Amino acid sequence: MSASVRLKVESLTKRYGGLVAVKNVSLELHAGEILGLIGPNGSGKSTVMKLVMGIEPVTGGTITLGDADITRWPSHRVARAGVGIVFQHSRPLHRQTVLENIKLALLPDSLLRLFADRDVDTRARAIADRVGLSAVVNRHPSTLPFADLRRMEMAKAIARDPQVVLIDEPFAGLTLSEVAAFSDLIRGFRDEGRAVLLVDHNVKSVAALVDRVFAMYLGERIAEGTAEEVMRDPTVRRVYLGGEITASLKRDQAGAAKPPFLKVEDVSVLYGKAQALDKVSIRVGQGEFVSIVGLNGAGKTTLFNAMSGLLPHSGKITFDGQDLSRLTAGGIARFGLVQCPESRELFGDMSVEENLDLGGQHLTVARRREQHDWLLELFPILRERRTQAARTLSGGEQQMLAIARALMMDPKLLILDEPTLGLAPVILEQLGRALERLREKSPITVVLGEQNVTFALPHADRVYVLEHARIVWEGDPMRFAKEMGTGYL
Amino acid sequence: MLGLQILIDGFAISSLYAIGAMGFTLIFGVSGVLNLSHGGIMAIAAVIGWLAAGDLGLGTYLGTLVGVIAGLVASYVTYFVVILPIQRSRAIPRDETEIFILTGTLLWGIMIQVGLAWLFTDNPVTMRPLIEGVTYIAGVRTPRNEIMIAVICWVVIGLLWLLVNRTPAGKRLLAASINPRGLTLLGFDLSRIYFFVWGIYGVLAGVAGVLLASFLGVSSASAGQLTASAFSIVVLGGLGSVSGSLVAAYVVGYLETITAYLIAPTLRPIPALLLLVLVIYVRPQGILGRR
Amino acid sequence: MKNLLRSPALYIAIVVAIVAALLPLWASAYLLGILTVAYYFGVFSMSWDLLFGFAGEVNFGPTFLIGLGAYTAAILDNQFGPPIFVCVLAGAVVAVLGGLLLAVPALRLSGPYFGLVTLVAVLLLQNAIVIFAHWTGGEIGMTVPDILSIDATENYWYSLAFLIVCAILLFGLSRSAVGLILQASGQDRIEAQALGFNVTKHKIAAFCVSALFSGVAGAMLIFYMGTASVDTVIDISIGVQVIIAAVLGGRRTILGGVLGSIFLILATEFLRPLGQLNTFVVSAVALAAILFFPDGLLGYVLRAGQRE
Repeated sequence: MSASVRLKVESLTKRYGGLVAVKNVSLELHAGEILGLIGPNGSGKSTVMKLVMGIEPVTGGTITLGDADITRWPSHRVARAGVGIVFQHSRPLHRQTVLENIKLALLPDSLLRLFADRDVDTRARAIADRVGLSAVVNRHPSTLPFADLRRMEMAKAIARDPQVVLIDEPFAGLTLSEVAAFSDLIRGFRDEGRAVLLVDHNVKSVAALVDRVFAMYLGERIAEGTAEEVMRDPTVRRVYLGGEITASLKRDQAGAAKPPFLKVEDVSVLYGKAQALDKVSIRVGQGEFVSIVGLNGAGKTTLFNAMSGLLPHSGKITFDGQDLSRLTAGGIARFGLVQCPESRELFGDMSVEENLDLGGQHLTVARRREQHDWLLELFPILRERRTQAARTLSGGEQQMLAIARALMMDPKLLILDEPTLGLAPVILEQLGRALERLREKSPITVVLGEQNVTFALPHADRVYVLEHARIVWEGDPMRFAKEMGTGYL
Repeated sequence: MLGLQILIDGFAISSLYAIGAMGFTLIFGVSGVLNLSHGGIMAIAAVIGWLAAGDLGLGTYLGTLVGVIAGLVASYVTYFVVILPIQRSRAIPRDETEIFILTGTLLWGIMIQVGLAWLFTDNPVTMRPLIEGVTYIAGVRTPRNEIMIAVICWVVIGLLWLLVNRTPAGKRLLAASINPRGLTLLGFDLSRIYFFVWGIYGVLAGVAGVLLASFLGVSSASAGQLTASAFSIVVLGGLGSVSGSLVAAYVVGYLETITAYLIAPTLRPIPALLLLVLVIYVRPQGILGRR
Repeated sequence: MKNLLRSPALYIAIVVAIVAALLPLWASAYLLGILTVAYYFGVFSMSWDLLFGFAGEVNFGPTFLIGLGAYTAAILDNQFGPPIFVCVLAGAVVAVLGGLLLAVPALRLSGPYFGLVTLVAVLLLQNAIVIFAHWTGGEIGMTVPDILSIDATENYWYSLAFLIVCAILLFGLSRSAVGLILQASGQDRIEAQALGFNVTKHKIAAFCVSALFSGVAGAMLIFYMGTASVDTVIDISIGVQVIIAAVLGGRRTILGGVLGSIFLILATEFLRPLGQLNTFVVSAVALAAILFFPDGLLGYVLRAGQRE
């Protein structure tokens, strides 16, 4: 092993029951370099980080830190050996000040040392200064803005001068200027000779910062190299974009001219301190198919949850003439705005039939039967599996069940959140065909949220692009293919 | 002979335990609440039922009915006065809600216990049997009332099963215990579902309380013990699993009966407690629990 | 050190301690007697708060640990008659062992399960005492041959001194570096471990410390009252009182538990003319406090200071 390799992962595998989250991953992390570990949701990248840190037990393979085999070490031992981690979500101690939070990171793991060493205070202040927190050291986390909370996480991670720093989604929730400041900070870590591993699902956002990229998909390595090399790699492009970007030609443009069926005006959502949506406005005409395209974490799910009344938000949402803030979440669904969420939310222990039945509860018996028969025709595989428990279905079948269940409500507007996530191409085709037939047979309005542009484009009448909580582009699919195509990734 | 006696007595007491335990676990499964005033609600049903039957001269059958209604009312009061305010409170941090509910219901249970004792009596109240007389089952002398109780319990269990598995409202309850968010997305307001489940719980606890009064007698002082029995059974069977509670109720009921007959009546609750400890260490999710 | 001196709770505590020390000058033996019990309860509540507020573990059966300490001391004294402090020491040892016993499932179970385990522990102890009535006096209880003192004032001094010593130790622990680690362990296990702390080790230690103080206080209480019974040291309602006192006084303040205990015991006493209803009223007040002032008295005062 060359002298500069700080962290070495060999044939790392992680199995959760039947699911293989990480398969045979090998990588090396050198001192003085920033490695970007990228991949979409479910790619295993965060799992790799957790395995290195000892938060999850390893199923196979080895992890070596310097000379030591740390594969089976508990996390506190890994931490003491020189690995610092910044989690995706900030984890401060709320009842302590910023300074005390940082001091904690400097304390020894001892039951008997009741008083901290005298220099702990000085060192803590120095670290706070380094990350830009000296003005707020005596404040409590609940009073701090989001970026400062992230700074505090960085401070805790580097407090004991680790040789390896792991950072999960470094820029999520930050404004552009904050991203620049954080990038400088991370570069600083690298320049001090530390080995830095960044985990993110967006190559573009970390491209400027990293020295090398390691791309993952469904638990495996799919590409490795410089940022440009990886972005050009055909497998990576297929995974992120879904393949060639083509737009279907016969789209009905009249929808855009109609009065808006759904109107979202200046909606903003705060998750704790993070700006999950920033003054987002969209409009959807009756009968239109609108795709909202964006990477994981851009804010699609937040937008849909705000529409469905599941999240508090500022701004106004009007649907079919009704101000949605006057309805409960259940009321909104009954009113005709139905969401099929990314997480599907099926009733796992109940059968396919029972799941569908619950969806049709608000219809008359006759209508329910009609809808039920039609849906089983639309998704024939569900007919076969009618009496099976939902959780025994495959991923694709579960997705179809989730969509069918939502359609059982005979919605005026259907929101589909990332239906293609984790599904095989064959299933995507089936899904695509079902959506086509759906549009032919009924006047339903659809809002599709997708990262997979290849799937999202052909059906769409119009496209919005959501990036970092903001709408950055709007237009028809043809233009999208021309303008955003190559730049999207 | 003794074996048959144990079999019969054990069956009756287990059926009673089952009703109470199933209610307790239903509330936990659907609404996420561990109601430590459970025994208090049973005691209210028992005392009011006894009062109605005796002092108010309504007779045993009507008295029983009044008792069950009292249980229902007590259940709703518990929900609206104690549970809901804690769940809605903004002053209590989210991750501590459970602890506050446990403490709050514990306090409420004590209030019920003391209140009942002061307002009425803390002596054990016994309802007159619903059916007088004894019969002989394979030579074992059995009060007819005992058989009646077992029958009523199983009718209730049957109705509950029908409700949950065959009616739309019941299916919604089941769905709520599996995935409340899924239900909201399908257009159901959870508040209505909670209202429904607390009603069912009130009836179950009421029936359990009144029948227990008829079988063994209930005093306000035993409220704590009743809660303890219920949650032991529920943990044994698996928190949130209604069928688990049913099975566990029989395990505990028989363990207690066997102990009372073969070892000593005072040691009655011990084996069940020991089993509980074992289960907690070895299989914390209980016999049929999901985890 | 600075941390300790900066806390307003400390100054409130000093004032209260001084007032308490001067009380025997004018208070009746009756009042002193009540306060003596209240002070022992104060130690119970502080120990509970250490486990809950700092290690994040909710113990619904603090009387398991208290009872172990109390009954061990009582049985030892009855059987072999060694000096009081030996009995108390024995009680402490057994209580700590009990704490370890509780710690094991705590580390593997979460949320409601652990709470239930603690309740079950109390039930088991209660039943064990009834079964082994030969040694324990069963449901009626037992008397102990030795007591600390027959003089009300002397007993008062003993318990006050004990309370002050325990308060200093427990409060100091809570504000120390170890206390900070405990808070982190209780609040966010994964983060604490990622920062290099062996959470398991710290939580077990917290259990042992809580058990130690509870057990010793339980034993001392026995030697004050001269009797030990299920109703006074084991019953679930006693455990509830301990928890309520800690919550009323303010979770995570340690010293709040003392204020809560004093209030609770005094209130119960003064409402005694109501007979059985005094429990009702106190419970109702406690319930109302939980609903409307979950931060508790001291918690409220301290929280107000924190808003910067």
